[in-house]
Amino acid sequence: MAELSDKNIIEKIKNGEIDQYSYIVKKYTTLIYRYIERKLFKKDEVDDLVQNVFISFYKAIEKFDEKRPIKPYLFQIVQNELKMYYRSKKPTTSLYDDIYLEDGRQQDITDDDYLGHLNQVEKNIFQHISEGYTYEEIGKLFKKPVNTIKSMVRRGRIKIKLACASKK
Amino acid sequence: MKKLEDKIIKKIYRMEAEKTIGQIISEVFLTILLILSSLFIFSVIVEILNEQASFDLFDFLRDDFEIIRENFFNNSLLFVQELPLPLTYILIGLLLILVWLLYVFAKNFNNIKNKLISLYKFWSASG
Repeated sequence: MAELSDKNIIEKIKNGEIDQYSYIVKKYTTLIYRYIERKLFKKDEVDDLVQNVFISFYKAIEKFDEKRPIKPYLFQIVQNELKMYYRSKKPTTSLYDDIYLEDGRQQDITDDDYLGHLNQVEKNIFQHISEGYTYEEIGKLFKKPVNTIKSMVRRGRIKIKLACASKK
Repeated sequence: MKKLEDKIIKKIYRMEAEKTIGQIISEVFLTILLILSSLFIFSVIVEILNEQASFDLFDFLRDDFEIIRENFFNNSLLFVQELPLPLTYILIGLLLILVWLLYVFAKNFNNIKNKLISLYKFWSASG
C-alpha cells in the first residue's frame, strides 16, 4: 500500500474505515511508550496508560480536525492520562482514619478544629465524600443541585485552608 | 511492542463493534416502532373517517371532469375539517421523525457499511 499521510488516514477513519487506525497505532506506539516509560516509576502500568491514550484518541477522532498534526494532540492526551494517573496514586486520608499526634495521642480528624470551621451541612457533605459518595449522589441525598454541592465543597475547602493558614 | 499494538487494536475493534451494533439495533428498533405506531394511528384515523362516512365526500370523483373541477376544492376542505385533528398531528409528527431517522440512516450508511466491512475483515482474519 502506498504511504498515506496522517490526514488521509484520519479522513478514512472518520469515513468508517477503522482498520486504518492500526497505522496510527503502529506509527506512534513506540514513541508514546518510551515517553510514558520515562515518566512512570511502575513499569508494569505503562501498557495500560499507552492503551488508554490510544483509546481516548480514537474516541475523540470524530471531533479531531484532520488538518492538525496528530503528535501534539496525542501528547496532550498523554499529559492528561499521566495527570489522572498521578492523581489516582496520590495518598488520601479518610475522615474516619485514626491520626496520631507527635506526642502519641490519638486525634479524631472529624472533631478537628479545622472541621469546626464548617457548618453542619458542609460537615455532612465532607463525611459523605470521605465515604466515597459522588457529587451527584450527595446532591440527591441533600436534594440540592450538583453545582450547589460543588460550590459548598469549594467554600468548605477555602474555609479549611484559611483555618490552616491562620493556625500556622 | 507488537503485542501491545495488537492489544490496543483488538480493544478498539471490540469497542467499535459494540458501538456499531448497538447503533444499528437501536436505529432499526426505533424505525420499526415508528412505522408500526404510524400504521396503527393511520388505521384508527381511517376507522374514524369510515364511521363518519367522510369518504363519501369523494364520491363526486366518479362524475364528469367538470363536476370534479367544481367540487374538488370545497370537498377536500370539508374532508380536512372532518379529520380527527389530535391524531392527525401525532401521525404527522411520527412521520416527520421517521423521515428524519431515515435521512440520518442514509447519511451514515456509508460510514456504517465501512465499519461493518472493517469489523468483518478483522474478525475473520483473527479467528
